[in-house]
Amino acid sequence: MLRKFALALLALTLWCSPAAAETYIVAGDCTWPPMEALDKDKTPVGYSFDIIRAVAQAAGFEVEIRNIAWDGIFAGVAAGNYDIVASSTTITPERQKAFDFSDPYYEVHQAVIMPAGKSIAKLDDLKGKNVGGQIGTTGIFVMQKANVGATIREYDDVGLAIQDMVAGRIDAVICDDPVAMFYMNKKAEYAKKLTIPLVTNDVEYYGFTVKKGRKDLVEKINKGLKIIRDNGTEAKIKEKWMGAD
Amino acid sequence: MQDKIEGQSKGNIVMVTEENTMPDSRDGQSKNTIIMVTEGPSIPDPREWRIVNAWSIALVGAIVTLCCLAWFRPDPYRDILTFVPDGLAATFQVTLLSICCAVPLGLLTGLGRISRHRLINLVASTYVEVIRGIPLLVQIFYFYYALSGLLQLSRTAAAVISISFCYGAYMGEVFRAGILAISKGQTEAARSLGFNRFQTMFYVILPQAWRTILPPIGNECIAMLKDTALVSVVSMPDLMQRARSYANNTYLYFETYTVIALIYLIITLLLSKVVSIMESRLNYYDGKR
Repeated sequence: MLRKFALALLALTLWCSPAAAETYIVAGDCTWPPMEALDKDKTPVGYSFDIIRAVAQAAGFEVEIRNIAWDGIFAGVAAGNYDIVASSTTITPERQKAFDFSDPYYEVHQAVIMPAGKSIAKLDDLKGKNVGGQIGTTGIFVMQKANVGATIREYDDVGLAIQDMVAGRIDAVICDDPVAMFYMNKKAEYAKKLTIPLVTNDVEYYGFTVKKGRKDLVEKINKGLKIIRDNGTEAKIKEKWMGAD
Repeated sequence: MQDKIEGQSKGNIVMVTEENTMPDSRDGQSKNTIIMVTEGPSIPDPREWRIVNAWSIALVGAIVTLCCLAWFRPDPYRDILTFVPDGLAATFQVTLLSICCAVPLGLLTGLGRISRHRLINLVASTYVEVIRGIPLLVQIFYFYYALSGLLQLSRTAAAVISISFCYGAYMGEVFRAGILAISKGQTEAARSLGFNRFQTMFYVILPQAWRTILPPIGNECIAMLKDTALVSVVSMPDLMQRARSYANNTYLYFETYTVIALIYLIITLLLSKVVSIMESRLNYYDGKR
């Protein structure tokens, strides 16, 4: 009995051990469509994942993608539970103090989503309103820094915030513009219910996040990014997810 | 009569388990009561006289740790301590409102569970079965997000309703068990003196049962305070939500959650002491055997 158990354990260990080519574990929070999402078979899909897969192929390493909740995703990479965070993480000076980032792979702005028919001209118009967003995302940080006198509501994921806005309990949701566009255009249940009255002018860049000090990994990713940018793979992926410009 | 009661209140948390007393048998024998610890912390024994015990070690340890951290490493720790107080207020608000709703609901449920009226009994029992089978987190999501089409509950209302509903069911069982633990002779004596059923319950049975019920109810209330951490999912700015915001802004996960854990621990330890003091007041005459 004991021997059988030991053999089973051994088999499991061997089965789990990494293959010859170096495999990096990639974490993404699949609640941020179209950058990261789950498809019908519960497989992680999205722009960020396609990019990191292409990067891995170009730079000669393997990736295994895991769906990790956003709240705590940075703690996991700091603890070494996974190697790369590919979860639409904007490169910010605060984050750069705690983590290392690859070169930018996508450019976004912050977008304010409101129920159809409502409108604002600038962020200051949100004064006195309830603004929702996903906890720990740059949308929340932008609202905190702008300090326009809005009540900020932090949700576990942006979908819940939008659901709450459609239910009428908050006035606006702030998030990255591709995500805002996705909810407005691609989600059947929100068709004609949402509008994006404001997109900020400040540019943010997504980068792949790694543990502080993993220069080797940053170099590999950057090398891959450069290759896919030059050979047109990136443009193809962009067209696949964002449509032709 | 006094003997029976004393026998019951020896344990900290006395609850008749379901195996022991069927809902219909109203002559619960207090000698067979089984001590069952619910999900809350253990209530310190009011008769505990030693200074060094688990409770005091935990409390002093938590307070000293928190003070040391704030004193010697003010950079993150004092910042965290100044960041979270409004969250603490929200936590207490939700807890107090939930207690105010859950205790009466629990009493009603408990009475319903031992009711002779078949329909009332069935409704109360079904409520307990259904609610106890659904995780609190699911209930919170349900009341806030799933029902948003029908009911426009504010986040506080949704939090309070879901927690009260959940704990009302658990408390109903506590009330039922506590009431059943009072010997049938009490009811018979009261009835023979001309009390009607209502009077018997409220003037004779419940005052006695209350002493048995208090520790587990206090326990449930403390568990409730801990479970309010779940309402941060409806963007309720409670202690947990504040901690998550802070951690997500600064990436200081270890520091933030250490402080939050210590704060929750200190509150629950203090509250368990309060329950223990209340219990000793109620059992004042037991000490003078």
